[in-house]
Amino acid sequence: MFSEPYMVHAFVAGTVIAIVSALVGTFVVARSYNFLTHSLSEIAFAGAAMGFWLGFAPLMGMIALTALSALAIGSLENAKVKSDNVTSAISALAIGLGILFLALGHSSSSSATGILFGSVLGISLSDIYLLLGMAALVMALILFFYRPLSLLAFDEEGLLMSRNKKGLLRIFFLLIMALSVAISSQLVGSLLVFVLVTLPAASARTFQKSVVGLIGMSMFFALFGTWMGLSLAYLTNLPTSVFIALIEVGIYLMSLLMQKMN
Amino acid sequence: MKTIIQVDHFRAAFGKKVILKDVSFTLTDDQLVVILGENGAGKTTLVTAILNAALSQEKTGAIQVQAENVAYVPQFRDLGADYPLSIRSFIALGVRNYGLPWLSKSEKQHVADAIQRFDLEAIADQPIAMASGGQKQRAYIAQAVAKQPDLLILDEPSSALDSEHTLALVKQIRQVQQEQKMLVLWISHDTSWVKGKADRYLWLHNQEVDLGLAKELPVAADSTHREEVNHVF
Repeated sequence: MFSEPYMVHAFVAGTVIAIVSALVGTFVVARSYNFLTHSLSEIAFAGAAMGFWLGFAPLMGMIALTALSALAIGSLENAKVKSDNVTSAISALAIGLGILFLALGHSSSSSATGILFGSVLGISLSDIYLLLGMAALVMALILFFYRPLSLLAFDEEGLLMSRNKKGLLRIFFLLIMALSVAISSQLVGSLLVFVLVTLPAASARTFQKSVVGLIGMSMFFALFGTWMGLSLAYLTNLPTSVFIALIEVGIYLMSLLMQKMN
Repeated sequence: MKTIIQVDHFRAAFGKKVILKDVSFTLTDDQLVVILGENGAGKTTLVTAILNAALSQEKTGAIQVQAENVAYVPQFRDLGADYPLSIRSFIALGVRNYGLPWLSKSEKQHVADAIQRFDLEAIADQPIAMASGGQKQRAYIAQAVAKQPDLLILDEPSSALDSEHTLALVKQIRQVQQEQKMLVLWISHDTSWVKGKADRYLWLHNQEVDLGLAKELPVAADSTHREEVNHVF
């Protein structure tokens, strides 16, 4: 399997994506931003389609639109506007725009499929470098702001900060989330982002009771699903995201069962 | 003795309704001050203003707070049934909100001390969601104390406790306040323990504030007295 360069690329990309998604996902699930993750992934679809239309890398389009949406959603949250309805409206608009951009760019249906369901087996070396750079940035930001981000996610009432600083931190967190959604979309596609961002972190809650433990267990589940998914895709010639989704859902159901048994 | 809070002609109003009209007082470190007053007297308004002044570190407002490290335990706090962290992790989480992820040796010791001080050792590694109301309350206070604050604000921490547990909590807070030389502001409706255990009272009534020695608590500010009067009528 590893004699094929495309599989080596896929494993490198998958490993990086799984680590970043699980890391960010731990904070996302703690803050109950699962729905927002799904909305951001739809926005990422529009961003990638915009990239195809305007002729730049789809990942850059994803980052641009998800980051812009994160700023808008964060500002609404800080202004205490009930953001769920607004987020739904933004999602609907994003899907509409995505279809429009694909039509304007005369993109093939395989381009759309790649965005929606992921295309990690066709990932190029330059895309991997871009992914590595983005992943390093997200991990460095989380390391540097780990303590305030942990409090924001796990105990916002315990985060004693002035209103302005807290507002900025919320927007900063959403921007990190937007970046990780854009990164994760490369592997499982924008439709299945929550498979890697939220499911491993949600499953980890049955087994771990500390923030570091949750991050570690979440990474383990994400990596397991990704490596198994890639291997099964290679062996069966079926799409990678199908297997990753099945494995992560399986782990989640097993964690629920174990939670009930305890 | 160091001044922690200086309030100079502070006024608070909601629209046309004046809550506090012209309040001035100074509080120093190494004290346990109980904030008393009827519902709507402005206790939460005053404490919120103090907290905001401490966090924004404004130098020009009517309230000046000279505290590097502030801890606040709100009256209502529920982490929910699916909250994932253990009591130990929850306490460690609150120790610091800046800097590197890992705790120093002394910070770990502060967490361990807080767990021991508030009798949480036996359940420290259990999920906080599974703890009883009283255990959760102690965990919230332990998290605040583990921060080693100069100023600790407790908003009715004993409202769900019976008198025996209230006295035990007062004793624990008193001990930590004396050992760590902090100013503790304790909002309370129950004044039964104030005369014997607190240093000062801050009584909010008629849009004004009275500051005095706890042992000289006025009869009108004493909830035990008010309860007796209510009982008679």
